[in-house]
Amino acid sequence: MGGAAVTGIGVVGSFGCGVGALAEALRTSRPVLSEVDRSAGYHLPESARRAALVGTADLTAWVPAASARRMSPPSKLAVAAARMAVADAGGIGEADLTEVVLATAFGPASFTERLLRGILDEGPETASPFLFTECVANAPAAQVAIACQARGPNITVTQREAGPLLALARAAADVSAGKVARALAGAVDESPPIVHALLDRYGALSRPGADGGEVARPFDRRRSGFFMGEGATIIVVEDEAAARTRGARVRCRVRAWGSGFDPSASRVSWGRGDAALARAARHMLERASLAPRDIDLVVSGASGSVAGDRLEAETLRTLWEGAPLPPVLAPKSVTGEYGGAHLAAAVLATTGAEFGPTAGYEILDPALRVAPHAGGPLPSPRHVLVTGLAGGGAGAWIVLERA
Amino acid sequence: MSQNGIRTNLKQLIVTTLNLDGLTPERIADDEPLFGSGLGLDSVDALELVVALEKEYGISIASHEVDRSVFGSLASLAGFVERRLAESKPQAADGQ
Amino acid sequence: MASEARDRRAVITGLGAVSAFGWGVDALRDGLRSGRTAIGPFQRFDHTRHRTHVAGEVPEGPPPDFARGPRWRRLSLADRFAVFAAREALAQAGLEGPLHERAAGVFFASSTGGMLESERYFTQLVRAGARPPLGLMSSQQINGPGDAVARDLRVTGPVQTLSSACASGALALEAALAAIRAGEVEIAVAGGSDSLCEITYSGFNALRAVDEAPCRPFREGRAGMSIGEGAGVLVLESVDHARGRGATPLAELRGSGASCDASHMTAPHPEGAGAALALTRAFTDAHLEPDGVDFINAHGTGTPLNDAAEFAAFRAALGDRASQVPLTSTKGVVGHLLGSSGAIEAVATVIGLRDREVHPTPGGGRVDPAIGARLVLDVPEAVPDARTAVSTSLAFGGSNVALVLARWD
Repeated sequence: MGGAAVTGIGVVGSFGCGVGALAEALRTSRPVLSEVDRSAGYHLPESARRAALVGTADLTAWVPAASARRMSPPSKLAVAAARMAVADAGGIGEADLTEVVLATAFGPASFTERLLRGILDEGPETASPFLFTECVANAPAAQVAIACQARGPNITVTQREAGPLLALARAAADVSAGKVARALAGAVDESPPIVHALLDRYGALSRPGADGGEVARPFDRRRSGFFMGEGATIIVVEDEAAARTRGARVRCRVRAWGSGFDPSASRVSWGRGDAALARAARHMLERASLAPRDIDLVVSGASGSVAGDRLEAETLRTLWEGAPLPPVLAPKSVTGEYGGAHLAAAVLATTGAEFGPTAGYEILDPALRVAPHAGGPLPSPRHVLVTGLAGGGAGAWIVLERA
Repeated sequence: MSQNGIRTNLKQLIVTTLNLDGLTPERIADDEPLFGSGLGLDSVDALELVVALEKEYGISIASHEVDRSVFGSLASLAGFVERRLAESKPQAADGQ
Repeated sequence: MASEARDRRAVITGLGAVSAFGWGVDALRDGLRSGRTAIGPFQRFDHTRHRTHVAGEVPEGPPPDFARGPRWRRLSLADRFAVFAAREALAQAGLEGPLHERAAGVFFASSTGGMLESERYFTQLVRAGARPPLGLMSSQQINGPGDAVARDLRVTGPVQTLSSACASGALALEAALAAIRAGEVEIAVAGGSDSLCEITYSGFNALRAVDEAPCRPFREGRAGMSIGEGAGVLVLESVDHARGRGATPLAELRGSGASCDASHMTAPHPEGAGAALALTRAFTDAHLEPDGVDFINAHGTGTPLNDAAEFAAFRAALGDRASQVPLTSTKGVVGHLLGSSGAIEAVATVIGLRDREVHPTPGGGRVDPAIGARLVLDVPEAVPDARTAVSTSLAFGGSNVALVLARWD
């Protein structure tokens, strides 16, 4: 394994556009939250009210109006992030060998909702071709391919919170194996009111009335749910030798990847299968000739979810077999869940970026015994373990290596 | 509706339906190609327009009618709509 | 071969299927051979106001002897197709029982997951404006069927669902192949599942892409696609693993190739350039000369554009031989299964390799003379010397995949 280098990042989220905006938000530990529009009546009276929304970010510099006119919101976000990533990487070369691997949890949900609404209210004969062509899960990946003229494999992963890591893993595997020269890998999700309302109905989001309030509190005793996040993240992965030859800056390497499943999970939530998941993570490390003691930093997918963070903590402690954990970052309390910014945060962490105290974390949960980063300097990491456990049971891990 | 009225209405419908923000309806020339060159619309735009036309005018457009002779220009499209409206009038009078 | 060298080729040891012919591979096989189409009237939802009124609908099931288990009632229809087909495939492979002790993964595909049930939830939400049972939404996710299979089989290895429209099933098989070659798993349960739902049925109709009558791929005057539902699942194993437990492979998944047109969101590249690239890459990956293709299971939706563009790709990749290689379209029999089409068509291709037969693509009218495909018409065509076949999947959004499948003997 090895040979897969990260040479560019593009990211759009509630924190703004570009990796600089994300780095600033992570340094200052400030989530940027907006009121969700609840006027459609999908929300319960007691529901969560805020989310990490992209809002009125002006993407026209990256996605000209002419090409955007038929794009769904996630397609626009993905194309913007892709162009940012390509610019950050100093351009990409021959199109035939450029792959696109994007993850999405909910796909173009607002267009899907509008299409369904139209079918219900006005009849199927009035269904909009525009909405339909853009409501398939792979629409953003297809638009990225058109925008970047990427004619290699085009793959969309739908595996919820594990999706972004699976996408990056696939890209790294294909680049390492020489199947493609480079890949644009990442994730995109939008948060229309209907998705926010449904996640809230499932009890997944922190609510204003909770002990600890409407705050995402990773690993915290009072955690009561996550922030819905929307945005897009694209990472350029290319063969390291080729990248260095063309004078590209290598941010870090994708050193290892692996995934597993916890069959004790329910369809939408997290289970208690830390043993199985830790075994899968250990298997990944072993195949890369690594051990937990080689990991200097964990960028955890913990988000403030009651069950999700518990499984994350249990899996980490089982993986480390009782040894003390390295510092654990939990960027999703700043970025929100979904949209893949977690991956960009992990790359930043690998390159030694500064992270403020974990937003929302205040009180140790004695059942979890994981205290995430409290601010201050972090050791310059050689290996960073990135984790992503999905509702429904899938789990994925990535090891990034300082270049 | 007068011929001119239909053309004006169609231009507005095209701009609104196809998200052509920044294009004022008046700038669509009657004989300019709508598809390929000219306005540069494509097959999905045509089908989106078909749905909008059916709703707007209460007419039916068969799949085989979605072609260049009907959709080639604004003038040909307006002509088609006028003819279809004229054909459906007697049925409307029957209370359908 | 050095004693340490491991044989990481991927063989197929089990097949499972649910289609408009019924629940099970036998029903599919008998139906494919029969020369009948399974596309016809359907009751999955009220289609009075839709433009067309036929589909490849799965009949009531599963059979009474299928052990449903306590969670069955809460599974979506697409979940059920998937779980049934996966168990059938594992039973054929002789791998019954939970897989948590084994290096096994699930590589799945779907385009809409539990959308049928979500449509019902949404209707209640909008009309009643209150709290319809959340259970209807629980399987909404596109990863629903794949996760249901993983849960049913107690898999603890890699599990992922891909959703690239009509290429999903083939991409899932490609992902499984890669995982076996990389040594990440020894067993891969690979496939796809989709059920009929209103959003796709009205969506394709909005694109005027659906034939009012059962589709007629590659024929003159073809007028569009037919939508179907169901699941296809294949059990893949490394040769080492299969040999080690004395299992007899049915066939080999010899290679795959993928590309993206990167030109238009719905229309294929008119010369099939992207599809030709996928075919060429698949041949390279499979170490196959183009002359080695003995029959083709085409994407063959039956739309005027697809079939013409696709055959242009075959001509580019196979040269003049393209018009001589027997070709069929499973979509012409059971309909377009969308996310699971690539998977059920791989199942049909393996059946064809083992039976040494190419199933017919029924329908009236002659083969489109502008295309010149050697379409297998109304009865199966015997291919006694056939060893290798190719199956293509060309998606909405331009994603193209070609799989090379071969006999194992």
